[in-house]
Order: sequence, then structure tokens, then C-alpha cells
Amino acid sequence: MADAPKIDLPQGTLDLLILKALALEPQHGWAISDRIQQISKDALRVQQGSLYPALHRLERKGWIKAEWGASDNNRRAKFYALTRSGKKQLETQAGAWRALTAAVALLLDTP
Amino acid sequence: MLADLRHRLRAIFRRDAVERELAEELALHLEHEIDTRVAAGLPRAEAVRQARLALGGIDQITEAHRDARGIGLIETVMQDVRYGVRTMRRAPVFSLTAVVTIALSTAALATVLTLAHTLFVRRLPVKRPEELVAVAATRVRWNPEAVAPRDAARLQILGPVSYPDYVAFRDRVTTLNGLAAHYPTAPLFASANGNVKEINGAVVSANFFTLLGLEPIAGRFFHPSEDAVPDRDRVAVISSNLWRTWFGSSPQAIGSPLRINSVDFTIVGVASSDFVGTTPLPIEVYIPTMMLRTGYRWCDDALAADCTVLQLIGRLAPGRTLADAAAELPTLMPESWRHARAGENSGVATTAVRGLSDDDTEPRLVTILTGIAIVLLAVCCANLGGLSTAQSAARRTEVSIRLSLGAGARRIVRQLATEWLLLGAIGGIAGAVLSRVLTGMLAQSFFTMDDEGHPLRYVFAQTPTIVTLTIGAALGAALVISISPAFAVVRRARASDASVRSTASRRLAGRWLLAAQAMAAVAMVVVAALLAASAHTMVGGRNYDPSHVALMRLRPRLLKYPPDRAQQFQRNVVQRLAMLPSVASVSMVGVGGVLDGGWAPIALPAWTGDRQVRARYNEIGPSYFATLRTPLLSGREFDAGDSLRSPRVAIVNETLAARLWPDGRALGATLLVNTTPHRIVGIVEDISLGSRASLPESWIYTPFWQNPAQVDSRLAIRLNAEPAAMLPVLAREVNRVDPDVPIAEMITLPMRLAGLIRPVRVAVAFVGYTAALAVLLTGIGLFGALSFTVARRTSEIGIRMALGAARARIVRAIVGDGLVVVGGGAVAGVALAAAATRLVTHLLYGPAAADWLYYAAAAMLVVLVGLAACIVPARRAAGVEPVVALRCE
Repeated sequence: MADAPKIDLPQGTLDLLILKALALEPQHGWAISDRIQQISKDALRVQQGSLYPALHRLERKGWIKAEWGASDNNRRAKFYALTRSGKKQLETQAGAWRALTAAVALLLDTP
Repeated sequence: MLADLRHRLRAIFRRDAVERELAEELALHLEHEIDTRVAAGLPRAEAVRQARLALGGIDQITEAHRDARGIGLIETVMQDVRYGVRTMRRAPVFSLTAVVTIALSTAALATVLTLAHTLFVRRLPVKRPEELVAVAATRVRWNPEAVAPRDAARLQILGPVSYPDYVAFRDRVTTLNGLAAHYPTAPLFASANGNVKEINGAVVSANFFTLLGLEPIAGRFFHPSEDAVPDRDRVAVISSNLWRTWFGSSPQAIGSPLRINSVDFTIVGVASSDFVGTTPLPIEVYIPTMMLRTGYRWCDDALAADCTVLQLIGRLAPGRTLADAAAELPTLMPESWRHARAGENSGVATTAVRGLSDDDTEPRLVTILTGIAIVLLAVCCANLGGLSTAQSAARRTEVSIRLSLGAGARRIVRQLATEWLLLGAIGGIAGAVLSRVLTGMLAQSFFTMDDEGHPLRYVFAQTPTIVTLTIGAALGAALVISISPAFAVVRRARASDASVRSTASRRLAGRWLLAAQAMAAVAMVVVAALLAASAHTMVGGRNYDPSHVALMRLRPRLLKYPPDRAQQFQRNVVQRLAMLPSVASVSMVGVGGVLDGGWAPIALPAWTGDRQVRARYNEIGPSYFATLRTPLLSGREFDAGDSLRSPRVAIVNETLAARLWPDGRALGATLLVNTTPHRIVGIVEDISLGSRASLPESWIYTPFWQNPAQVDSRLAIRLNAEPAAMLPVLAREVNRVDPDVPIAEMITLPMRLAGLIRPVRVAVAFVGYTAALAVLLTGIGLFGALSFTVARRTSEIGIRMALGAARARIVRAIVGDGLVVVGGGAVAGVALAAAATRLVTHLLYGPAAADWLYYAAAAMLVVLVGLAACIVPARRAAGVEPVVALRCE
């Protein structure tokens, strides 16, 4: 595991990743980080130290809401779900991200 | 936005729950991490270790999480406050000084605010007082200060109205839901149940009580039918005070008789003690307006159209404003008002009913006192700003460490501001509390008795607004104070330690602030001293000697004595009193008070047409000036020979003599007083009760016994004994002549004079307080600054000593530093005092020739205090041991 490539997430990216991870269904904290890790094939790793503050920041902004529920192993867990403004935010941010990466790629690929 | 707020509030107020939830979440996360690793084949112990490593410290996460929760600001403020409390505990003397200084300064402000509120703002303690309006007539009269008609300024004054005019307004007004008439300061000679006294009463229309929404605490108020026919319904309502003191609060008082001005009334009710009147003179008895002829004895018919005595108070009709009433009432003005002469009612003024001020000099006084309170607060800011700059130097290390640990400069400035706000809040609260004591003292000393000895009632209540303003002012002051040390700390801390030491200024820190304090202190001391000297001059007497003079007022008019009977009574009283062994001499005045009087038009026989001038005037008994010890310049006093059968004579004062007879031939000349020729038989020195702001007055005196219409008198009795103790003896003697005649205003002349100059005495007390505080603060400020300088320069002083500097020279240097600052401030203070004195000219009495003494003394006092403040730091500097000082380096 230690050999996974370590990528520093640019500012604000974590929010986008969390929103995306929640797009399908509500998840609890660990599942969110697990999902990001799996989908990115271990390239992206979210530290617990940044995950929970980010979750609470998003909750404060009203993009996600939290509810207590039962996890897979039947433990009480806090599930986060996208709100309507969260969904809108995801679309906006994803669009912006794609535009940015496309532009950066274009720039880098130009000899 | 709402979600944000809810979230933040939950984070703050349900902090425990939020933290518990977070802990639970983190625990779950850890468990999942461990499970994943166990599933991958690791032994459990190793899985736990790796998971913990991967997660990092729980505490850091919690901290970061708190930031994300958005409670950083409040948490830091709480931290700052906790830290501030610790700092205060660590420097208790400094903190105590700061709190006490802020408390003493804001207490002055709170006191003057309370004064202003009571005098000008407070509403009557009745139902919906904001709806009440006062309706008064306006009159234009010649300015009495003017000497000749051509330079006379016209003054507009407010006046009462006659009963018929009241009825005309009452019956036609539509913007008011009722208009009541009242004469709130009726001197009534009352007797009942074995008690006899001149008391303050009110003659009121029957609707007065219902209009104000008052309820009787016993019996009832007046029926409208009892205020319909003149002189028929002799009913009275008494105050709860009179009920208690004269009737022991017995229910039997209702229906019992009360004799007022020799007319028998029946008590029908008792008024509550909540409302005691619209003026500072509390009302003890109410009688209906139809009994005005009994309550007011200065008109032939008190209910006639030419007798203006009633004040009007109305309640706005629903939906109407003061502006509506102010617009309507002038249209209802009686026709006769339109062609009024000077001094007659000619207009209407409608105002809100607020405050208790009955003295038009009071607004100016309170404005001046407010200004002084604000200056004091500024001195407090300068002082504590300077002290804390010095003190903050001691915290240099602490601040350096915090800065190097990554604290922002803003954070440190905020920390300092929080500490000061904490001190300010405590000081402000203490100031508000202290102000209650000061206000109580002020009220007790100056607002319990008027200048004629009548009891007064002012309610000096501290309102929530005043408390808020006071604490606000303290917090504002604290912020101002924190500015300079905060920046000093940051600036000093940013520079490296070594460079700080080399660039340390050799000049006294905050010397401008210190000089400003010295300046304000000198100015306040000068003003306080001049005011005190004025009060002393007035009460001590100039061309009169008030000591050992007793006063009393005899009013047979209240009993409707005809002039011949009244004069016989007066003659007998004077003779009887003069025979008492302790009485040196007895005299009297017929117009106004002793040392005072009224106005009369005078003219020289040679003047043509209607040419006249107005002069101060009184009718005086024989040996009046001997009784007051006022020197005669030439001629003689009136004596027993000046009677109705002898030629009319007059005495003029020096000013009038010089004005009308510049050649000095006043004695023996003829002067027309009220168009009657009088021969001048004496010239007397000026007796002036006027302040420095007023012009010297022309006075003319005529004999009391040459006015056949005289009824009442005010006696001046010079005694060989303590006058206050003699008053009952004198009263007993008068009662022996005629037990029915009311004796009022029994008081000593110094007491009366002190009452007359109440504004001066209030100002003396107030400015004296602020001046003492300013001087003390200057001393403390200088002491602090010098101590700081000495501490900072210890090594430099050590080096200089090691190089051979004498200790005396070091002491001289330190003391010199301090004295230059205080001396400079004191010189500026003398100039400021000269300007400030002009603002209080109207409160100053007596010649200004000796004023420079007070200026010099004030400057000297402040410099001496400064010198005293230098001594300890200078001795400490002189005590520096070169070796020890250098080792410190």
C-alpha cells in the first residue's frame, strides 16, 4: 500500500471528490474514503484528518446532509447524502474541473 | 445560509453532543480500517497499529474539525478572555488601577447623564406619559439685563393663562383628549388636626386626575360638579405624605376638616405618593380651580380674565401627534392675545411634558458638566494608554514567543484588545454602580431643598439606557486605550531583540499623552477653584455679611388681611423681635427676597416724553443696610421718620448714582420712581447677586413704610447667636403677636444664598471630583512612565555611573525628564484654563482680579504632584549599582 503513487490534492478538489462519491447513494465517512480510493485505483487517498473537516464544511454549506443510520456491520454510523444544492454544486464543479483539466492538458501537450 | 447558521449554533451550544458524535464517527472509521487490514490477512494487533498510523493523531483531526465547524472566532474570543483573566491575575495592581480609573471616570459620565435625564428627559410617573403635552402662553418682554430701552433685547418667555382663557382652549381643542389646568406651586397656609404649616399646594381642574390617570389611595378625587361654581365646593385632596404625618394614615382623615388660607375645606381623598407633581416642589394638597380665589391671593379676582396663574396640561387624542396639537392650539388663541403688549400673553407654545427642570440655566450647566466628563474620560484613556504601553514592554518576551510560534500580529492585537475590553467592561459596570452613590450624594447635597427652604423632590433614577451608555463609553475607552500598546507590542516584537535594545528611545515614553493629562488637570483645577471661590464669595458675602442673619417670610395676605391690619402686625413684629436680647437688628423687604428685589421704571425729572429706564427695585425697612452690613457711601439709611406722612425718599446704589449723575451730585437729587418723585437721601455700595456675565445693576430702594399697600414682608434679622438655632425662638415671638399669620421660609441667609447658587455648587462638586481625579492620574501616569524609563535604561545608567557620572546628576536627569513634561503641560493647561473659564463666566461671582492666583496655584499643584511622582523612580535610578546593571547586560 505504501507504494501507491501519492498525489497532492489541489485545493477544493476534495470537496468535488466527496460530492461525487455521494452522487450514487448516501455513505458514511469511511465508505466515502474507501470509495474514492477504490475508484481511483488507490491513486487518491483521503486522510481521515482532512475527510471529516471537509464533510462538516460541506454540511455547513448545505451541500450534504447527515443522518444517523446502521452500517453494513450493523454499527450506528453517520450517513451523508447529497442535497439538491449539493447536486447542483457537483455539476458545476465537475464541469469546471473538466474544463480546467482539458485546458491544462492542452497546454501541456502543446510542444 | 440558514443551514450554515444552524450548524454553527449547534456547534457552539451543543458542543458536547457534536464532539461525541465526531468521536463516534472516528471510532467507526478506525474499526473499518482495521477490518480491511484483517481481511487482507494481517494479524489483528498489527492491523490496529497500521490503522492508527494511517489515521494520524485524533487530536489534530478534532482541532481541524473544529475550524471547519466555524467556531474558530468564538473559541478564540473565549480563549482571549480566559487568557485576559489570567493576565489580570498576574498583574493585579495594574489591572486594579485600570479598573478603578475607568470606573471613576465613567461614574462621572453616568452621573451627569442621570442628572440630564432627570432634569430634561424623564416623563411623569403617570399612565402613558408620552401622550401628555404642556400648553403655555408665550410672552415677549424686555430683557431685564438691558439698561436702556434702545439696547434692550426682546426675550420670549413662557407664561401661565387665566381661567377664562383655559376654558376657551379646553372647550374648542380637538387634537387633545382633554385639557387640565393647574397651579402647581400654590403656597397654602394649612392647618388640621393640630398641625399648622405653610405647605405647597396645587389648584387643579377636576379633570386633572383623570387626565393623568391617577388613582386615589383613599377616598376619591374631585367630581366635575365640585369644580363648576366659584367658591362653593370647599373640597381638598391631600398627599399621602400629609396623610401620614398629619393624620397617621387614618381612614378618619377622609371627611375631616382642613383649614387652608383661613377657609375651611373638607378632605375627600388621598393621592398616591407615586405622583407628587409636575415641578420639583412636591404637592401636599389639591383644591379645585373654583377655589382659586383662596389658593391665589395676588389678584383681586383670581378667576378673572386678567389674572394669569394657571398652567395647562393636555393628553393627545388617539392618533394625534404633538405637531398636530402645536398646529391647532395657536388657532384657538383668545382674540385679546393678538394685540397684547409687552409682557402679556401673545402666543402659544405646545411641548412634550418631560423632565423637572425649572431653571433655564440648567441645560447649559449640564452641557458643561457633560463636556468635563468627556474630557475626564479622555484623560483616563491617555493615562491608561501610556501606562499600558510601558507595561506592555514587560510582555515583550511573551509576545515574541507567541509571534515566533506562528501567531499573527492581528491575533496578538486582538488579544490585547480583549484584555482591555475585559477591564473596560468591569470598570464600566463598577462606574455605573459608583455613579448611583455619586448621584445620591449630589441629590442629597443640592436637590433636597430650594433657596427658600421648601423641600424638593427629584427622582434621580439610573435608567437602562444610562447604564448601557456608561458601559459602552467604558468599552469605547478600553478600545482606544488598547490601540497604542497593541501596536507598540507588535512593532517591538517584530524587530529583533538586539535591535530593540539598541534603538530604545531615551525620551520619556508617551510624553505627549502625559503633557496632555497635566494640561487637562491644570485646567480642571483652575475651573474648580474659581467656582469654589465664587461660591465662597456669594455665601460669605461681598458688600454684605450674611453670617448671623436669619430670614422669615410673613404673609398676612394669605389670610386676606387688609393693608392697615397687616402693617400694624408687621410693625408689632419688628418691635417685638428687636427687643429680644439675641437680636442685633431687624429689617425687611417688601418685594422679592432679601438682597434681591423686583424692577421699577425710573426717570429724571428733566427727561422729556416717556423716557424711562428700568432699575432693580425694592422697598426696605429702616436699618436694612445696617442689618446686612452694607456700607453707606454717603447720606443716611431710612429711619422711623420716613413714613406715609413724610416726603417720599429713596436710596440709590453706587452704579445708579454714577450712571444718572456722572458729576457725583446724586445725594439730594430728585428721581421719579414709578412716576412719583423721590428725594435721594443715601448712596449705598452695590449689592450684586449677579454673575460676572451680567452687567452691574442699577438699584433703587424706597421705604417699606411709604407704600400704603404693603401687606407681606420678608424679614432679615441679625443675631448675636447662631441663627439656625434661633429660628424657633423667633417664630414663637412672631406667633405671640398674631398666632394666625403664616410664617414661611424660615432659613438663614447663608443657606438661602447657597440655594441660589445651586448650579455653582453642583459644578464645584462635580469639577472638583474630576479635577482631583485628573491630578491623581497625572501623578500616576508620570510615575509609571518614569519607572518604565528607569527600568529600561538601567544598563545605560550603569555605564554612565561606571564612567563617573554622579548620582545627583542621574537623579537630576530623571526628575528633569518628568518636570519638562509636566511643566510644559501645566503651561498649556493655564492657557486652556483661561479658555475654559470663559465657558463658566455665568457661574463665577466676584471680581476677576485675583484669578491669576488660582491659575498659578493650580499649575504649581500639578507640578508638585509631578515632582512627587518623580521621586521614587529617580531614587531607584540613583540606586543602580554599575556592576549589577552591567551584569544584567
